Amino acid sequence: MVNVMTAQTNSRNGLILWLAPPLLWFTVFMLVPYALLFYYSLGSVEYMTFKPGFSFANLGRVLTSAPYLAVLLKSFKLGVITAVGATIAAFPVAFCLAFHTTSRTTRTFVYFLVIVPWWASYLVKAYAWKTILGSNGLINSLLMSLHLINEPLTFFLYNQFSVALTLIYIFTPFAILSIYAQLERIPTNVIEGAKNLGATDFEVFRRVIVPLSLPGVVAGAVITFSLSFGDFVAPALVGGPDAVMISNIVVNLLGVAFDWPMAAAIGIVVIAFAMTLISVAQYLEHKAAVRF
Amino acid sequence: MRALGNRHLAWSLAFAVLAFLYLPLLVMAAFSFNDSSYTGLPFTGMTIHWYTDLIENGQIVDSIGASVYVALGVVALSTLFGLPAAIALDRYSFPFKEAFRRVVLLPIALPGVITGVSLLLFYMLIGIKLSLNTIILGQGTGLMCVTITEVFARLQQIGRNQEEAARNLGATEAEVFWRVILPNIRSALIGAALITFSVSFDEIAVTYLLTGRSNTLPMTIWSMLRRSATPEVNAVSTVVVVASIVLVVVGIRLARGSRAGRAEWSL
Repeated sequence: MVNVMTAQTNSRNGLILWLAPPLLWFTVFMLVPYALLFYYSLGSVEYMTFKPGFSFANLGRVLTSAPYLAVLLKSFKLGVITAVGATIAAFPVAFCLAFHTTSRTTRTFVYFLVIVPWWASYLVKAYAWKTILGSNGLINSLLMSLHLINEPLTFFLYNQFSVALTLIYIFTPFAILSIYAQLERIPTNVIEGAKNLGATDFEVFRRVIVPLSLPGVVAGAVITFSLSFGDFVAPALVGGPDAVMISNIVVNLLGVAFDWPMAAAIGIVVIAFAMTLISVAQYLEHKAAVRF
Repeated sequence: MRALGNRHLAWSLAFAVLAFLYLPLLVMAAFSFNDSSYTGLPFTGMTIHWYTDLIENGQIVDSIGASVYVALGVVALSTLFGLPAAIALDRYSFPFKEAFRRVVLLPIALPGVITGVSLLLFYMLIGIKLSLNTIILGQGTGLMCVTITEVFARLQQIGRNQEEAARNLGATEAEVFWRVILPNIRSALIGAALITFSVSFDEIAVTYLLTGRSNTLPMTIWSMLRRSATPEVNAVSTVVVVASIVLVVVGIRLARGSRAGRAEWSL
């Protein structure tokens, strides 16, 4: 009895010891700032100074009025396009890594080839596409020197296409790593079992590999979606007026319009959305989870 | 046989994707040696001019130092606060644990700009001046989830048997931590530190909003890109890519060492 008591006290002391520092950290640097964000979103701006208030008008505007809602939806759309595009591009590489590398050296080398572009500077990757798609860029120079065109083509750059392409480019390595981590865990005997029971390679792929890869696909797609949804580098570098995304709006509201309450209101809506997304992702991963 | 389907088809698709991943980087590296002040065809000759410019550019050298300082600070904070959070989440049950988990994971899904804005309001309220340290606090909050998820996953993997054995043999809580838990999660901590370092070194959104007078490397490159697209940008980018290759090689080596260590253990 005494022993159980001390064990419990010990465990409670241990819990406090481990939990207190991070709890304090997240309270001070996350929850308090979020509360401030909410407080600011209820106020208004007059002559560039903040006026406290208690109005949900700003939050309402984010969800109903045209520019904000439209940009939110566009960011959502570009996030989905990026997640789907990166998953499609990633699957063949992850598949080869998991099933068609004959030696450990080949596997390590291909893995390395995937990691390098993932770790390469983000800005650099976005900028690189500018040098390819721009009016002085590689494609246009090539087409002009072949005399296929006389004027540089402008539809490659500064639109939603170039933003989507750049984001897919940036997040494909991440999707590869995420899907590969899952494919690697599929036991060989599951595949052999299916083959012995008469499944063709395509059937094994469609009915064994793809379903079992879903946890990795979902995990990768969720992160790819949220990182590209909130991206503000690609739209600023390779996007035009047509490809402004939600983070760019927030930055503009702060730096150009000094409309803090509106920026804060967008922040609150995006936080709520991210919370929902995490819950949905946890549910999906739980549903798709497989134990070998 | 693990091989599945048409090997040639699979590899040609994979090669196409790898080419897609490398084409832009190679184009950029090629143009960094082009002797022309604008990035485009045709090549007008080889030069290392843009690289020597870089070394003489004090702003870039300073900002590399600033980035290293910030990244090390973020790694230190993430380890110091992320490790206890992972242990609390794995080893204990407490009220509102699910809520705590969600809050801790939230920055993964939240745009950096939003983290930045909320912290900016906070700094204004308590009157902190923006500096490299305010960037560290912001990035630390955003990136702590990396350490937490990595260490948490490892703790789940290793289970509690050794820990309980050590306790039964009379080890104190401190001994259990230093001599059982820490050696087991060491490689996860190193891995998390490497990821955190590289993400922090490259971070823009939070930094953009919380930066004071001195700038990190991405912010310096950012302002160069917005001003003009000189080939100097290609040169600095190529240097950054080569540096990241070196880091990746070191990282893979470290990870492999730890994997071997783990295999030994499981025997």
